[in-house]
Amino acid sequence: MFETTRFEIARRRRSTLWLSVGVAVLTAFFLWYYSVLDTESLAVAMDALPPSMLEALNIVTLATIEGFLATELYTFLWVFGFGLYFAYSTGGLIADDIEHDRLDLILTFPHSRTRLFLEKLLAVGAPIVAINVIAGLVVYGGSVLLGEPIEPVRVVLVHLLSIPYFAVCASIGALFSVVVSRSAIAQRAGAGVVLVLFLVESVTAAGETYDWLGSLTPMAYYEPTPLLLEGTYEVLDTVVLLGATIVFTIVASWLFTHRDV
Amino acid sequence: MDYNYITRIDIWLKKYTNRMASIVVDSLTKTYGETVGVESLSFAVERGEIFGFLGPNGAGKTTTIRTILGLIAPTAGNVRVFDVSVRDRSALTATKAEIGYVPAEIGFPEDVTGNELLDYHAAVKGDSRRGDLLERFSPPLERPIREYSSGNAQQLAIIQAFMHDPALVVLDEPTSGLDPLKQEQFNEFLRAERDRGTTIFFSSHILSEVRHVCDRVGILRDGSLVALESMETLLDGGGKRVHVQTETGDPTPFKTLEGAFDVTTVGSSIRCTYAGPYDRLLETLADCSVQEIEIREPPLEDIFMHFYGNDDTEATDV
Repeated sequence: MFETTRFEIARRRRSTLWLSVGVAVLTAFFLWYYSVLDTESLAVAMDALPPSMLEALNIVTLATIEGFLATELYTFLWVFGFGLYFAYSTGGLIADDIEHDRLDLILTFPHSRTRLFLEKLLAVGAPIVAINVIAGLVVYGGSVLLGEPIEPVRVVLVHLLSIPYFAVCASIGALFSVVVSRSAIAQRAGAGVVLVLFLVESVTAAGETYDWLGSLTPMAYYEPTPLLLEGTYEVLDTVVLLGATIVFTIVASWLFTHRDV
Repeated sequence: MDYNYITRIDIWLKKYTNRMASIVVDSLTKTYGETVGVESLSFAVERGEIFGFLGPNGAGKTTTIRTILGLIAPTAGNVRVFDVSVRDRSALTATKAEIGYVPAEIGFPEDVTGNELLDYHAAVKGDSRRGDLLERFSPPLERPIREYSSGNAQQLAIIQAFMHDPALVVLDEPTSGLDPLKQEQFNEFLRAERDRGTTIFFSSHILSEVRHVCDRVGILRDGSLVALESMETLLDGGGKRVHVQTETGDPTPFKTLEGAFDVTTVGSSIRCTYAGPYDRLLETLADCSVQEIEIREPPLEDIFMHFYGNDDTEATDV
């Protein structure tokens, strides 16, 4: 079992390692920057900003370590950056193999297309877990070193609950990967959709009228800010994200099984 | 006992006991929108034979192969591999344990070494013959595949196709990239595999490449089969090329010789194509004071041209 998953994880071990190193360095930089920041004058500057802007950017406060990280690390890097990255990278999941003539050989294995697809998709879990573990350790360790320790449970939760969010983004990319035979197009389409969803959620979060539109985006179901500041989260949100992942994965798998490749 | 296991036993029994065909292509048509890949194609590949599948690039060879492997679905007609319909993808999945494949365009992941790739294939398909194969073929397994020459990639493809000891191996232009020595080793290997009972489906656009290994050939032209012959019949049908130098240089005995055609003279040298019994030719030669003689097989390209001449009537009359 999981031969393809193991092979794909091993193939990407170097890129996963460098990605983790990059995340660790960037997280450490955020922590260092927070430590040298004049938080009082920042709070004054923020008071001058319109509340709608703060809401759109998911900013509650930048004056505490939790608030600063919730905005800079989790909203921008995690929700936006890595959401885009995983949708982009899974855009190449099947399309890249088609484009580089790799798929024919794999499809002569005595494994069903569904199994091959799921195993390949599952391999994306390795970098998702790796960046979460490394960033979680750096965030907690850094906050302790700075003398403002964040509740460890909140750190664990903010990372654990990001996994279903990334899973949705990855399954969106995978969906494009099975319908488009050119990886560059599938990757751009996957990342483009996640970008649009992020913008829709940001814009509609500030108003009341069209906030239902925001609820159609995965970003509405993973909110690091209240999690880090107050330790609150909705289990239902995670269920919604997992449900969406399963639906997208089933659709993608069905399309892959029934198409000519 | 699960379904997969039962299917494998079934294939094994057929491999060693039955004389059933390995592949049956039945009125296969595959179109891509307006473009016709293959049309009403029918033939069978028998167990334990090397079947040459010939045709120029674009004739529909790869389309046929990809249908046989269940990668694309037939538009009409059907293909059965070990009696399993390619339209039934889940049943075909289990059958694939007994199939090896060397694609025309080899796409290996370039960031892994040859060994890592073979380990992966071994985990999925098995590798009972890996050691034997590595004695014959020697790609640099410790190096990443991105550093491989086309010949090395081809050798790796051959190893992965045969290492699980499949009952059927489908080869799509397998010798491209191999140097002549490796090609000869490969041909010898194929003959040995055939003698062990393995069925080989050998696709190529070069007749001379399959000349020495194939038992039968099917020739494909514009998506349709124009010939299905044993290699012997195909070569005999083309006649022998006879070059004779006689004292007089008189071509008359050859012009009246039954089975001789295309008689030409260059000085005292007479050239003709002869498709009849040798005895009759020798009787004629005995009366001609032969000074020099050469009898050889026709250039394979001539036979090929016979099927690919511009005259459609001639091509389909074969």
